[in-house]
Amino acid sequence: MKRTVDVNIPLGPIHPCFKEPVRLKCEAKGERIVGVEVELGYMKKGIERIMKGRPWQEVMFLAERVCGICSVIHNMVFIEAMEQISGISVPPRAAYLRVIANELDRMQSHLLANFSYCYTIEHETLGMYLLDLREQVMDELEHLTGARVTCAYIIPGGVRCDIPRPDAELLQTSLDRIERDLRRYSGMFADGPMIALRSRGVGILTQEAAQQAHAVGPTARASGIAADCRLNHPTYRQLGFVPVSRKDHDNYARVMVRFDEVVQSIGLIRKCLQDLPKGVIRGGGVCKAGETRYSGEAPRGELTYFIKSDEYGRIVDIQIQTPSIMNIEACCHEMILGADSIADVTSTFVSADPCVACTER
Amino acid sequence: MTILQRIKNKVRARSIHVAYVDVGSCNGCDIEVLACLAPRYDIEQYGIFVHNNPREADVLLVIGAYTPGWEEKLAMVWEKIPDPKAAVAIGNCPISGCLFNRRESFVDPPVKKHIPIAAEVPGCPPRPTEILQAILSVRDSVFANWEEEHP
Repeated sequence: MKRTVDVNIPLGPIHPCFKEPVRLKCEAKGERIVGVEVELGYMKKGIERIMKGRPWQEVMFLAERVCGICSVIHNMVFIEAMEQISGISVPPRAAYLRVIANELDRMQSHLLANFSYCYTIEHETLGMYLLDLREQVMDELEHLTGARVTCAYIIPGGVRCDIPRPDAELLQTSLDRIERDLRRYSGMFADGPMIALRSRGVGILTQEAAQQAHAVGPTARASGIAADCRLNHPTYRQLGFVPVSRKDHDNYARVMVRFDEVVQSIGLIRKCLQDLPKGVIRGGGVCKAGETRYSGEAPRGELTYFIKSDEYGRIVDIQIQTPSIMNIEACCHEMILGADSIADVTSTFVSADPCVACTER
Repeated sequence: MTILQRIKNKVRARSIHVAYVDVGSCNGCDIEVLACLAPRYDIEQYGIFVHNNPREADVLLVIGAYTPGWEEKLAMVWEKIPDPKAAVAIGNCPISGCLFNRRESFVDPPVKKHIPIAAEVPGCPPRPTEILQAILSVRDSVFANWEEEHP
């Protein structure tokens, strides 16, 4: 009788394909993966514990450092939650500038995720093209906000600095260049026969499974769930935002959804620049006592802050729900199971774009 | 110094394999290290190759404020790297803990307490060019004259 041997294969915490430390314990039957267990806890810093009892001026910078890749959205959700508590209104020009900063951040995050995926499936050429394109987006972000990564651009009642007219024109021309390159690279990804072999039909996450696992963000949108928190945001509603979704359910769809979203972000920034209202960028206001729950769409999915503050604007209680944990669960319980080889485990895991730093905080 | 030693020095300084380990950062420095790979900075022109395998590495980039999950493990990673080796601390976190070094947090900075650090790059996060400069300075001070100092 033929005997199959079950093997336990640990991947990580230091692995060439993973940006951050995470350990995947795979159970393999032959080459086929039958079970995956994820071990987190290498990055637990206790940010929420540090935040409690501190004034919002400090918590603002801590919130930004929950995740370095998507720092603008953490800043934006925290500040908009504080504005909701205190009833501070935002000048229309500042609201549009927030969207521009947020979409630039989303572009660089998605390009980094797609670079990681291309690097994992060992298509280094396309990976390097995307990383180079990301540098151009980082330049635009730096030009607008003054810093590459943790920029603290959004403050209660407005934004930190304005975009002068020559800078806006420069941003327009850069966006044209970025879009031209991006269309070429996404075409390379869409038509590449070798990429299709590694991506199509690998890491299937059906719509029912995605709903059951509460998958969010591009992972859910690649499984046909057109859920996006930007639909609830007033500024995005003004811009007529419609989420992209695909029905392929596989790694290919997840990467293509990200490419489509980068193109969509370019469109949104163009629209913002086109009808950028005139006026002040800071309305002012005082942070007050109260509690609220506020959600925004991070590059990886729905990000929720639960905040309770006292009358001096100090944070009494704060809870953060980050998108990656749901996607990691969906990845381990659905997508990786049935993968044909260990090489598909890493590529499937990277295609869900897990961010361990904001999962563990 | 023999000719062989001279060749060894030269070759070592022109071929540096880098591994990076994240011991609890916010990811900001991770992506700046990744950005070094971009064609704009082109680290391979200096002979630096990011492979992320400690057993092949020469330089270990330490990122983050040392969380309890890495106790003993970071020292094990450091032991696995063959001599000559150097560790570079990237960002404020491994130097001082940055803003995570507060009451109630779990981190235990600086990383200097746990493994020897050859160079430090302050910044939250540092620019990719600064990271590149630090690796190059370590190359000149540790690898380029290793044979004379360790006969």
